[in-house]
Amino acid sequence: MTTRSLESAAPTRERVATPTVWSRIWQNDAPGYLFLLPWLIGFLGLTIGPMVTSLYLSFTDFDLLTSPDWVGASNYMRMFTNDPKFWASMRVTMFFVIFSVPLKLAFALMVAMLLNRGIRGLPLYRALFYLPSLLGASVAIAILWRQIFAGDGLVNKLLAVFDIAGPSWISNPKTSLWTLIILSIWQFGSPMIIFLAGLRQIPQDMYEAASLDGASRWRQFVKITLPLLTPVVFFNAIIQTIEAFKSFTPAFIISGGTGNPINSTLFYTLYLYQEAFAFFRMGYASALAWVLLALVGIFTAISFLSSKYWVHYDE
Amino acid sequence: MSDVPAKLTVVTGTESPGRKRLIGILTHVALIAASLLMLYPLLWLMAASFRPENEIFTSASIIPSSWSIDAYIRGWNGLRTSFATFYLNSFIISGLSVVGNVLACSMAAFAFARLEFKFKSFWFAMMLMTLMLPYQVTLIPQYVLFRQLGWVNTFLPLVVPKFLAADGFFIFLMVQFFRGLPKELDEAAQMDGCSPWRIYWKIIMPLSMPVLATAAIFTFIWTWDDFFGPLIYLSEMKSYTVMLGLRTFTDSTGESDYGGLFAMSVLSLVPIFLFFLFFQRLLIEGIATTGMKR
Repeated sequence: MTTRSLESAAPTRERVATPTVWSRIWQNDAPGYLFLLPWLIGFLGLTIGPMVTSLYLSFTDFDLLTSPDWVGASNYMRMFTNDPKFWASMRVTMFFVIFSVPLKLAFALMVAMLLNRGIRGLPLYRALFYLPSLLGASVAIAILWRQIFAGDGLVNKLLAVFDIAGPSWISNPKTSLWTLIILSIWQFGSPMIIFLAGLRQIPQDMYEAASLDGASRWRQFVKITLPLLTPVVFFNAIIQTIEAFKSFTPAFIISGGTGNPINSTLFYTLYLYQEAFAFFRMGYASALAWVLLALVGIFTAISFLSSKYWVHYDE
Repeated sequence: MSDVPAKLTVVTGTESPGRKRLIGILTHVALIAASLLMLYPLLWLMAASFRPENEIFTSASIIPSSWSIDAYIRGWNGLRTSFATFYLNSFIISGLSVVGNVLACSMAAFAFARLEFKFKSFWFAMMLMTLMLPYQVTLIPQYVLFRQLGWVNTFLPLVVPKFLAADGFFIFLMVQFFRGLPKELDEAAQMDGCSPWRIYWKIIMPLSMPVLATAAIFTFIWTWDDFFGPLIYLSEMKSYTVMLGLRTFTDSTGESDYGGLFAMSVLSLVPIFLFFLFFQRLLIEGIATTGMKR
């Protein structure tokens, strides 16, 4: 026994001196992978695996109860050539993204600039403006919104003071989507905070030099603030656009899950939900999901490619 | 408030003190007006939940003519299952999510920020990619998977992904913070024979309380608010969350009992509002440094 343990002790020391490939991997890489393990399991099991599966399902008919039937590209064909609801939901979502994101960012920037003038009570204002962002995703706020813009709702009560009889904004297909855009703009607080942090990074002496040269505030905004802020604008625009594409709860609550009136609040995500969990057309819903991914991917790619021309990085 | 910035633009650096004062006052007036406009719907909702039922649709004021908590009592028991159950469920799901997210995300972040291993940058890039992925792409296979595991109508589909660090935002947030801690700490500890586990648990985690608290609070709020997950995974009323309870309220009794609906809506916002009240500095710094979505 003793000789054996001595024998085994000696080579071990040698092995440490000239480690084999395996022990080197164990020593260097194992701790990293052990710490990464939960994420890695989630990434493979809940992201990559499902992504591949949903790509496969998008080429099948699948009702959750019987096994998927391969149907080739017919889901995609139907979507683009023979599904008015798909195009309606696409229009609604694009309209929402195109109007809500720029308006929200413009508001956020405007208020951030007002707050960045060294005014007193900044923390209080900042907190008040941020509160709607924090609460806004809640079902309760969607319920509140439905009431505010109802026929006998708050907005019309205020309009009645000026003798204006407002319509029911929620059930009018011309205005229903705008109530959701306003809800999104109302939550401008979090991009505003990011803008504020960005504005603080701009060196104050640049403005001093500019105003000594007689540059007006507007010129200073266009020539100094805006260019130096473009990385933050870019960042906010990407985040807010992805969020806008994913928006679901307000449209679901305000329309009672239908996307009505006349599909005017049928967000893409809502249509996908209906296909998957109301009609159990899981194959078709998977195809919808991949089109959404392609859409978000194309948008992100365009943003990154175009950023070369309008985003200034000061290196 | 929109004409104030226009006024500011004509002012140059050589402004008189009187004029500067005036601009300061105008700025405050604009900001106060804007905050009141933004908070008005919230204040009205709160007032509506306390005012007599017949006043809800006639008054735009934010002060009820008389106060009563009847709507809260009606709303609390307005559905077959009481809101007490929904609150308990929501707290369980949110609480477990906080534990899972903080543990799993900090472990992954520790690996990315402090350890060296093969293909690290590849995995990091993958993690960043998941940030941009719309959840719909994984939704249906995940649903099929959880259904086969028999997890539908349990809290597991809502909680287990958190223990697998499914929300990359928090990993990213923590990596940023961990990278800012001095590297000498790990090196000294390693000299003393500390294992990576001990370095993580005894050195990095205690030093990272601010970022862990930020992640915990945001996880709680987002899980509390989550509507889509519970909507597809929880179908029995006794396992509903508060958000699902509210939605059921709008479908059924909500048409007749607006007071109860508004009372429960206000109540559902209270936990979030309390976090806001006590931790707003952490929340705002968290957003400012990483640019989180909400």
